[in-house]
Amino acid sequence: MVRIFWAALLLGLAGAGLAQDMPAARHDMAAKWLARQAVARPLALAASFDAKGRLWAAWVEGGQLRVARSEDGRHFTWPVIVNALPETIAAEGESRPQLAVSGDGTLHLVWSIALAKPYTGHVRYSRSTDGGRSFSAPITLNDDSAEISHRFPALLVEGRRVLVAWLDARERQAAQAAGEKFAGASLYLAESGDGGASFGPNRRFVAHSCECCRLALAWRQGAPMALWRQVFDGGVRDFALADLRDPASLQRASDDDWRIDGCPHHGGGLAADDQGRLHLVWFTQGRLRQGLFYRHADPGRFSPPMKFGNDAAQAGHPAVLATGRNVTLAWLEFDGQTNQVWTLHSRDRGRHWGPPRRLATSAGGVDYPILLARAGKPWLVWHSEREGLRAWALTP
Amino acid sequence: MRRLLRGLCLWLALSAGPAWADAPKPFTVATPAALQQRFAGQPYLLAFWSIDCPHCQGELEGFARLLRERPKLPLVLVAVDAPAQAPQVAARLAELGLSDADNWQFAEARPERLRFAVDRQWRGELPRSYLFDAAHRRQAVSGALSEAAVRRWLETLPD
Repeated sequence: MVRIFWAALLLGLAGAGLAQDMPAARHDMAAKWLARQAVARPLALAASFDAKGRLWAAWVEGGQLRVARSEDGRHFTWPVIVNALPETIAAEGESRPQLAVSGDGTLHLVWSIALAKPYTGHVRYSRSTDGGRSFSAPITLNDDSAEISHRFPALLVEGRRVLVAWLDARERQAAQAAGEKFAGASLYLAESGDGGASFGPNRRFVAHSCECCRLALAWRQGAPMALWRQVFDGGVRDFALADLRDPASLQRASDDDWRIDGCPHHGGGLAADDQGRLHLVWFTQGRLRQGLFYRHADPGRFSPPMKFGNDAAQAGHPAVLATGRNVTLAWLEFDGQTNQVWTLHSRDRGRHWGPPRRLATSAGGVDYPILLARAGKPWLVWHSEREGLRAWALTP
Repeated sequence: MRRLLRGLCLWLALSAGPAWADAPKPFTVATPAALQQRFAGQPYLLAFWSIDCPHCQGELEGFARLLRERPKLPLVLVAVDAPAQAPQVAARLAELGLSDADNWQFAEARPERLRFAVDRQWRGELPRSYLFDAAHRRQAVSGALSEAAVRRWLETLPD
């Protein structure tokens, strides 16, 4: 009954949006989002454990971000709505809401909303300081209001520090207005030092990021690190790694030589272990290597790329998690009938690896697998159309 | 599943109606093999695009120019957008002057199934094209095909 009610409301919203906007703009992306979400509830969600080991999940329904909590990873509390006014929230593949819980229990959420013009959006933020009972009125983090792309936000929280990074088209727009070509987008940042109560001015970190691959962020011993697909010379879309405090720290993290005049819609994953080693996973179809790869990075040194996943089963969308000396990889495969989540484990910080294991399957539509740490142990969360949200404690 | 079937029926009914005569045809798991049969012994170009893909737009403009020059160009265009996006796909094709091209659109809610039927290795990056020679050996290309590259391929074709 509840579902029918929401479907009806959604269809109503979508209908209203379309009717209103159709004459003005032939491809109103905002209306498009609503229409799409009216047909199917987006599968892309965000999840995180809090310090007490409770699982939090955030998903989109009817243009509203909903947050619920679970003690056991199966049963969830009645969801609380974050944005009272429906928004055209992106919740698909690489572009989805992000959720983080700081040590004091504050919940932080970022997401992007689609604007009328194609490939445009704004980055939104809200937080809860009362354990998820209520959320602050959403604010827009990008400090220019142009109808251009400010999308694919990523979130990194530690204590009172809240760092948000996203892909921003400001520089691209300015270059194009001056009649110049501009490859990709730019990586922009906004940071809060007071737990998200206020944010400093936007900071441009680097130009020429790929424009539609997710960003991956991780704290390395207090340093905010980022892994993202960057457009290098000659239109090569390989990965870059940097300390977000210093643009000069940028280094190339993969040398696959993927020259592509297009967007892979396929970002990487990043984790840092407590001894400061970074663990990277990514996808490429480059000239030098193709498929999914893992490598780790110590200051000044990368391990050779290690291939994983079955190329003949669309192996993709990898995630990585470091818990103590354990490193866990997870990814998605499709065998023609079912989607499957596969995992790989290392017990010695990525030097040796066990055999790949198939953790779960689903015969319907699926989200990417999400790896999370719960009290220092690896967990995997997977949302699928038929089975709903499932969570597993992994044995390394 | 029932919902999916209902959607599919609605989609087929709509695409069969006269007002939708030039709407893209539904691309199913059976379509890649059907195309191979249709082009038996002939080369063809199979190109996938989406209304969400900025890099696809320039490539489609190039295809539109080529089709004006060579109306019989063996070009198959497939939008990977969900069935619900049919109006937006049709509108974009109309804007590009491509409504009369050999247009198809993904007819399933699970694009991975359709991608699997085309090419097990394709992870969904766009644009994605396949250049088939007369023996149907194919060359897969991720990223926009330049007009020059298509013209080079055309030169290898028999007239």
